[in-house]
Amino acid sequence: MARKKRRGVGTGAVSMNMTPMIDIVFQLIIFFILTSQFQQLEIEQVVLPMSIAAEPKDPFQYRNVIINVVKPDNPEVIVMGQRMDYRVIEGDNELSAYLKERKASTLEGGEKLNVILRADEMICYEVVASVMLAAGRAEIQGWWITTDIEEPEDLLD
Amino acid sequence: MAKHERREQPAKLQPPMAPMIDVVFQLIIFFMLIPNQQAGEGYLTTNLPNTSGPVAGKPQIDVQRIKIELELPDNDNKGVNIVLNDNQVFGSNFGGLLAALQGLKARGLPADHPVLISPWMGTRHKWVVRAFDMAVMARFTNIHFGVPYD
Repeated sequence: MARKKRRGVGTGAVSMNMTPMIDIVFQLIIFFILTSQFQQLEIEQVVLPMSIAAEPKDPFQYRNVIINVVKPDNPEVIVMGQRMDYRVIEGDNELSAYLKERKASTLEGGEKLNVILRADEMICYEVVASVMLAAGRAEIQGWWITTDIEEPEDLLD
Repeated sequence: MAKHERREQPAKLQPPMAPMIDVVFQLIIFFMLIPNQQAGEGYLTTNLPNTSGPVAGKPQIDVQRIKIELELPDNDNKGVNIVLNDNQVFGSNFGGLLAALQGLKARGLPADHPVLISPWMGTRHKWVVRAFDMAVMARFTNIHFGVPYD
């Protein structure tokens, strides 16, 4: 009697269990969506001035407060999506009080706080100086000015 | 002769996973790149003066410093008029300012010689940044901004 040929184990197709892989991939997608949204909350759209001395850095390696100065015709200072009063007064204004608070909470963690200025190129220096004074009142000395990076020959045209 | 009933096995649904994996990895790469879209930006790093304490707000008079004053031209509140050390006027010519600063450096001034950028309150932010650039290009490292005081 002829024996039926047994199908060997090696002749079947190898299939991976894809379900856990899909789960992990979707977790990663959700993570990257959420982190990109938190980063963009701090940043307003401005036309930045050009600079050749500016260096590309990763600001998120440090503890920072990003101060956006927008609307050159009617300047506004925006921090974390909220408008703040920056006008120079006797004592602390809203911006300097906020910076003092952020500095205190950063110091508790043993870190240093930087202020990153993102000002529209047509903003008057008066507003920038007011923001600098508020940072000085909060005794924050690290001060970064955000610019677009440009080639030297383009700037001197 | 009884026929054996054939048991019909339920059809196995196997959606094609390979295209789904491809699309998902494309999405991951897309969202990883989004935080880097500000890659064309850079930062000028400076240190603010200490404004606390008994000397806070007082003007620091240093007759040796290089002073770059950024004025507003008449009838043009978006332009700039550059005045170096109260006597050299460059208009809006930042190339001329750079040449003058390089000339001062060539006379032997050290890199940490103080440079004060003193804009008028109405001067636009981009001119202040450009004046800072010129001082850095001339290899000066000790650059301050004038801040008004009461």
